Amino acid sequence: MEKLIIDPTANSPRVVLDPERNYFEFSGESRPENVRKFYLPILEWLENFNAEQAKLGDAERVHGLQSQFNFAYFNSTSAKYILDIFKALSDLNSHGIDIVVHWFYEEDDEDMLEVGTEMSRMSKLPFEYVKVDEQE
Amino acid sequence: MPKAETIIDFKGPITFATMEMLLNQLRSASQLAAMRKPAKKRLYGTVVETLDNIFKYAADVAPDTRSKRRMPQLKVVKKGPEFIVTAGNQVLNEHVEDLKFKLDRVNQLDDEALKSLYEEVINQEAGDTDNGAGLGLITMALRTEQDLRYSFTSLDSAHSFFTMQITIKE
Repeated sequence: MEKLIIDPTANSPRVVLDPERNYFEFSGESRPENVRKFYLPILEWLENFNAEQAKLGDAERVHGLQSQFNFAYFNSTSAKYILDIFKALSDLNSHGIDIVVHWFYEEDDEDMLEVGTEMSRMSKLPFEYVKVDEQE
Repeated sequence: MPKAETIIDFKGPITFATMEMLLNQLRSASQLAAMRKPAKKRLYGTVVETLDNIFKYAADVAPDTRSKRRMPQLKVVKKGPEFIVTAGNQVLNEHVEDLKFKLDRVNQLDDEALKSLYEEVINQEAGDTDNGAGLGLITMALRTEQDLRYSFTSLDSAHSFFTMQITIKE
């Protein structure tokens, strides 16, 4: 399946969905002008990827998918869609595709850590939390 | 009484480009330089959500009422250890009761109940925009230790001016 790469802007995150490298990434700020328009193609890509993987035998499927979520900030409208991304990843996981989710948060940023634990619980997908030094 | 320092004092139409300009103004404010990063992020998030809220209700201003129109406003003031964000915008009177209900609801709930409400709302189907479910208000209520203070001033038979104030501690 074709990889999906979206370059970041001041108000939208960098997105990498690259099955060849077994690598997914979301990083930066998320408060695009039209949140739905930004996230719908990403959710559609994940749905198609999920359908494609479901047709494959265990040997052909992706294994050890690494995903990194390194948000500096996301608004409440984006939060709904980010949760939908985790639900899609959780579906992949339940179809036997092992996924590692790294959720980055800055030292002392309890809000970002807490929202990560809530997203993990709500999507039933285990996260690994990565504490990073404060970035400017 | 600590002296109030004004960081942003804006009155005018809010477009997406205006939002970017105001957020840049906030980011570069000298009053934020010594602030702890998590508190800075809370303030930043609160300003984004209030601007999103104004942006969302921009459609409430019909062209034929432009003569009576009161421009949206945003004020960010630092007073001692507190940052006070005040936002105002015109809304249709038919939206007033729904907004009041959502504001009173988040003000009455403690943190645990707010988190349950957050979970309920975030799991609802996303609409064309924010779907008006009030996730922004819940998020703001979780990030402040005080109530979201608000008022509605009647402008005419169809419109009111909605003002909301949120306090973020340094």
